[in-house]
Amino acid sequence: MTPVPHDQTRGDSTPFFRDAKPAPLSRNEVASLCMKAARGAGMSWGMAEEAGFAAAWLAAHGIDGPAHLAAHLEQAQGRAWAELCPRVTPGDWRAAGGGTLCPIVLGATLCDHAALAQGPLAGCSITLGMVDHPILLLPFLAEIARLNKVLVTVTSAQVTACIDASDTWMQTATEMLSGQAADLTLTAREGALKNPPAQTARHTKTSADTIAALNAFAMRTTVPASEQSRAGAGSTLGDND
Amino acid sequence: MSLIQPTAAPETARYRRPASEVMRLARMGSGHPTRLSFLRVLLRRLAGEDWQMDRPVWSVDARGVGHAVYRVTGAERTYSLVAFAHDLPPEMRSDRVIATAWDATFTLFDGDPTPEDIARLADNVPLQEAGRISVKELTLARANRSVRLFAHVIDALAAGHQPEAEEIAAVGYLMRTTAVYGSGKFGAADRDDIAARPELAAPFQVEMLTVWLIRAFTVDLAEHMAAVKGGARAVRLDPEIRRSLGVGNSTGLGMAPFIVRHPVLLNNWMTAREEALARVRAQQSASQAAVSHLQEVVVAAIDNAKAWRSEHPVQVPKLRDLRGDLDLLKQTFATWDFRQPHPWDELWTWGESALTLEGQEALLSLMLEPHGALVDDLADRMCADEAASFRLSGAMTVGELRGILETDYAWALAIDFTTPENTARFWYVSEEKLEPRLGDRATEDGATLEQPLCIARLASELYATVREMDDATPVASLLLAHPEHRYAVRRAQITRAHPFAEVQDNLIADDMLPIDLLRCKLAFFGASQFDPRSDRWVRINLFQGAPYPDDIKAETSR
Repeated sequence: MTPVPHDQTRGDSTPFFRDAKPAPLSRNEVASLCMKAARGAGMSWGMAEEAGFAAAWLAAHGIDGPAHLAAHLEQAQGRAWAELCPRVTPGDWRAAGGGTLCPIVLGATLCDHAALAQGPLAGCSITLGMVDHPILLLPFLAEIARLNKVLVTVTSAQVTACIDASDTWMQTATEMLSGQAADLTLTAREGALKNPPAQTARHTKTSADTIAALNAFAMRTTVPASEQSRAGAGSTLGDND
Repeated sequence: MSLIQPTAAPETARYRRPASEVMRLARMGSGHPTRLSFLRVLLRRLAGEDWQMDRPVWSVDARGVGHAVYRVTGAERTYSLVAFAHDLPPEMRSDRVIATAWDATFTLFDGDPTPEDIARLADNVPLQEAGRISVKELTLARANRSVRLFAHVIDALAAGHQPEAEEIAAVGYLMRTTAVYGSGKFGAADRDDIAARPELAAPFQVEMLTVWLIRAFTVDLAEHMAAVKGGARAVRLDPEIRRSLGVGNSTGLGMAPFIVRHPVLLNNWMTAREEALARVRAQQSASQAAVSHLQEVVVAAIDNAKAWRSEHPVQVPKLRDLRGDLDLLKQTFATWDFRQPHPWDELWTWGESALTLEGQEALLSLMLEPHGALVDDLADRMCADEAASFRLSGAMTVGELRGILETDYAWALAIDFTTPENTARFWYVSEEKLEPRLGDRATEDGATLEQPLCIARLASELYATVREMDDATPVASLLLAHPEHRYAVRRAQITRAHPFAEVQDNLIADDMLPIDLLRCKLAFFGASQFDPRSDRWVRINLFQGAPYPDDIKAETSR
């Protein structure tokens, strides 16, 4: 076979997906792309890692985490930290201005408070208020259930999602939380979570459009080339030897 | 073959080197492969367990174009290297990640590939980054010929004689890989999918298996082309010459961030190696067999250092140091009193004052060599469950966090980040090629897009924030007020439980050498020679002197 020189030279193949054809990304690719995209959309590096974790967790459970994250980043980019993060007070974690919380920031902060009095302990009831793309909260709620040995319920006027001991909580919670935003309250009670099995097969149908959107965010973390940067990158000696 | 029996584990703690000594860049950049290196772990397993190797497919034409399959079959699983050989015009040959075509491309298939699998792979593997592989594939790799040696070997074999020993020694390989990707890259199986298999539990086993099978392919291809050219006159490569050939590898800055981004993994590699050294030092006596073995391996190390070539101004004096130290070690081993109490510890202590860093790290490797039965089990501890360390503890108090910074990051807090020389560089990812690069802060744009690789400065900035905070404040509150510190807080919490997690140097200093990071990682792979082509680009050789699939069962593995 004669190699066909393709006009590509990048350390990443995700830009080559086209059309609506689903792209079976590995979990590592999901985590890496989503982390970079979250950083590109303005999250701190440590919070961007949380975004990568959440998207990869969802993808491992058959949910299109990358698509939800891309949609959330569109909504959240440019908004100030104070609007996106919860104001942690006993029983009330709503954002300071009453705005819509970032599910990644909220989820990570809930995990940070897992062992603290104002956090998601057994018996708590916390008003979260409006949460953007609340499905992205799910990986963190599963973490809390694991860390605190509790069963977590999030409710709104329309939905109730329980992360509990049933066989179907994952499916139900996914259906309940897949909207654009929800006004939520979190409660927790003692109990042992039933872990949904992670899937090795790649059933998550992330579209080429989603990947393009995430790549557009991710590219904001990169530096345009200069002659100096090109010159410093390779060997100073030839390779044809 | 191991020459000593494991003794009841003596207390090794007092023989362990501290992280402050081990984790310095200059020492990491003097690392040598050991019997815990990943390719040695692979070869021990393939030789010692029930694995069979064969080449079920060889479909390569007279121009050297086509494909082949190399198969490794165990009791439960089969792995197959699918190799594609190409006819590459010289003007397209480049080792950079920016190349678009190669002399050969490869994937390691999980199982026995069907003709349909091969057809799918033929449409994707030769394209490398522009193609896609699937959960059925474990790695994606490519290699370029050493043009000079490849042509010389074919010409010689075709003419009915062996290639010149000098030519072989000057290069050491027929092809060099320019990338070996695993861990879910380009759609391949994720590490989590395969980490539970005993044969793949140690780090980089699929990558090492890929390279080892590529080595067999490079020789087969050269012999094939010599037979085409020379017809009945052609001969096969002499087994000793064949054995002396490895696979070259060309590696740049892209590999450098890895050991910074995987602190738990780095910790586990280092801890295993350091525990191995401590176990050897802790022995009360030395067996005659171990001493003889030590004297054998220093001779091999001297030969390797003789064959090791580099023109790079940093590596030339290091090689001089190494050669001098190895000669000194050989003399010392011959006269050393191995009957004194704790002879290995005495030897090590002598080496710390008598040898350069190159020599000390070479001594470590030599001392482990006769002690397989004592240390080889440590290879099982070199993998890492990174997810288990991801979730940070928000209940930790700021006082405790400050304590971690003041003790485990004292080396970082001692660096003055207000001076230009200590902030001279910045790590970034290039938009053009998506590869990691190192910029000059004073003269290049892009420092606002700096990657978080200088952990020392991130720790220092975190310390400035927590210095005046109330001790009792939980870290969760710190992170709400300062989300920018989340990355550094996670690192600090990881380091508390993993003392060898951090490279304890300033990775943006003007005098920092990226090749030191590369050498550390490549030594853990098992690279025997290290030839920098610039301060950020190296060539190495893997599997030189190792058995091939067709002779690994014929010998005892050490």
